[in-house]
Amino acid sequence: MGSLLALSEGMRILAVLATLLVAAPQAATDQKTAVPEGTTITSAQVTGFDIDRLSPGLRQAIRDLEGTPLKQERLDELSARLEAERPHYVAAVRTVMDPGGQARVYFMMGRRDQPDHDDNINGRYIIDEAEITGVSELKLSQALKDDVRALVGKRLDSGDADKVEERIETELPKYSVSRQIRRGNEHGHIRLRFELRKKEAPPWLRFEPLRSNLVYHSDQSWGTYGDLNIGDRTLRFTPTFALADTETYVEEYSGYGLRFETRKLGTPRLGASLEWTWYETDWRDQTLHAAAVDPALPQLYDTRSAITPLIKFAISPDLSVAGGVSISELKPLTPGTGSQAANAAVASIDYYRDWDPRESDARHHVDGSFGVRAGSRDLESDYAYTRYLGQGSYRFDLGRHHVQATGMAGGISGTAPLFERFTLGDTMTLRGWDKYDIAPAGGDRMFYSSVEYRYTGVALFLDVGSVWDKDTDRQVRVSTGIGFHAGPAFLAIGFPLNTNDLHPIFTMGLRIPGTGIRW
Amino acid sequence: MVARSRRAAAALLVLALGAGARASAQTLAVDTAGDAVKIRAPGFSFLKGDPLARLKDGRSVRVELTAMAFLSQGQPAAATTRRIFAVSYDLWEERFAVTTVGARALSVSHLALAAAEAWCVDQLTIPLSALGRDAPFWIRLEYRVLDGESGPESTDPFYSLQAIIDVLSRRGKKADASPRAIEGGPFRTPRGSPPPR
Repeated sequence: MGSLLALSEGMRILAVLATLLVAAPQAATDQKTAVPEGTTITSAQVTGFDIDRLSPGLRQAIRDLEGTPLKQERLDELSARLEAERPHYVAAVRTVMDPGGQARVYFMMGRRDQPDHDDNINGRYIIDEAEITGVSELKLSQALKDDVRALVGKRLDSGDADKVEERIETELPKYSVSRQIRRGNEHGHIRLRFELRKKEAPPWLRFEPLRSNLVYHSDQSWGTYGDLNIGDRTLRFTPTFALADTETYVEEYSGYGLRFETRKLGTPRLGASLEWTWYETDWRDQTLHAAAVDPALPQLYDTRSAITPLIKFAISPDLSVAGGVSISELKPLTPGTGSQAANAAVASIDYYRDWDPRESDARHHVDGSFGVRAGSRDLESDYAYTRYLGQGSYRFDLGRHHVQATGMAGGISGTAPLFERFTLGDTMTLRGWDKYDIAPAGGDRMFYSSVEYRYTGVALFLDVGSVWDKDTDRQVRVSTGIGFHAGPAFLAIGFPLNTNDLHPIFTMGLRIPGTGIRW
Repeated sequence: MVARSRRAAAALLVLALGAGARASAQTLAVDTAGDAVKIRAPGFSFLKGDPLARLKDGRSVRVELTAMAFLSQGQPAAATTRRIFAVSYDLWEERFAVTTVGARALSVSHLALAAAEAWCVDQLTIPLSALGRDAPFWIRLEYRVLDGESGPESTDPFYSLQAIIDVLSRRGKKADASPRAIEGGPFRTPRGSPPPR
């Protein structure tokens, strides 16, 4: 009898597998021959089951197949892991040769019609109560309520309970479900409860992106900038420090600061930030020389301190605007001369969006902003100017392939302090050039674009840009190179292209996009 | 200065003794049974924290155990055995039940927690033929909780303040007492075992 049951179960699984294989995606060369071992895998997908519900390790293991040579043993192992994680499903592997001679792998999953046994020992107990808690009954469909009610009076079947749980997840995607089984009122009886909790809604406003780094540029030497989050989902304090940093401004600066941010002022659409910084500046010889020969350039300064209060408002979760003032005090290099004020009204609009379609492994990310800073005598500023900066980036990720395109353009009218002037030629922009060769005192006009393709940790890039002053000649500079990335560590060699001096620039370091302490 | 050095040395000694005590709480031992090496790991706990809470909620939990045998340290494993176990907790009997997942399913029930864990480890055997005659070998035992419902791993770059306090406090050290893998050796195969393949 036992063997007959086993045979019948075996037949059922075979039937499910046959259905899966018939329903599998077909390709032109699919039916000719089996895909030979060693063929490069271009994609690996799970069909018939939401891959996001697998464990992160298994998901990653499946994604990691891309770009590797096909090994049947490895695919069988992953198939076994799928079945082990999802015992109420059977998994089959199908490999398909695509027209380019590469392999596509499909893990097809189908639910077993009837599990031969429930591996949960509580499967022998009768459910005498089943309920959904944590959500108003009005939000539940009649069909779902019927499914839950149908569990009562039967022995616990984990497969049926899984089905109800999946149905809840489908009908109420804003909730997470946890299943609890408790003893019933009499021995041998149990109560089944699906407890729903509302998932945390994505925030309307973003905190200021973090950019801790320790970088080396072969023409500019070492520099570091650090920021550390201390806070929670709504409030954040960020102590910052810089040591010989040349990444952001024309000056080399060292110092510290503190930023406070909240992204909920009564409503999650309204937030605010307040940042205070104090930096001591060092000027490179090239900048000192440029300032000496061009008296029209703004004054060099010894220290720069600033305080910047901002109010932020989210128009949608992707789009927000910010406005405030930036009050800066510049202490001059020459002792005895008075400080200068560089106060400006600040406004910006930011767009940020991620697309992560469930039906595909591709991810898209778009980030764009446009900002204006306007120094005015009305703000008791010694500098009257307007600075515009627009920037955007698009990133596409598909398995081990990553493409990133970035662009920015800016202009300054009037006379702006040196820290507002644009620079290119560091470890992030125009890799292959040195900013102090291009424009040692920066420029009041700038455009830049870059395309980078990365396969796992190896990157190829092409950077194009120019920084110049109004009424002077503009020279467009191009560079290309190769980079290597491993976690937060990077190493890149950039070559300037449109120059007779083929002097490569070597950069390396660490970039840690965000670390912090959550209270 | 001397007093400070002494205090530091004393603190290091206490830490070292504590670490030693924790290490000794988990030992690996091996037995031979027929043509296989059986592993025993008293104190090796893998049903704890969230998986244990899920079991107490009446759910079943799948755990993958892997035993690897090494003929020398730093070399690839000479033999690997991997098995997956479905564990559940009987709400009325208040005892654990385990079923092996795979073609040759074995089941056991009415076990206390430690006995259920020990039963799982007991199912892992290394063939003597892979190890050779009178040869030293080392064993590494690993576990992995297979749980698709735990959701994606957090990409949140934050560390929770509580987690930091736990790490720095005694509670954190206690939690570290049961790592996801333990190693033991060198052991020695009996003289009569067959040569490696």
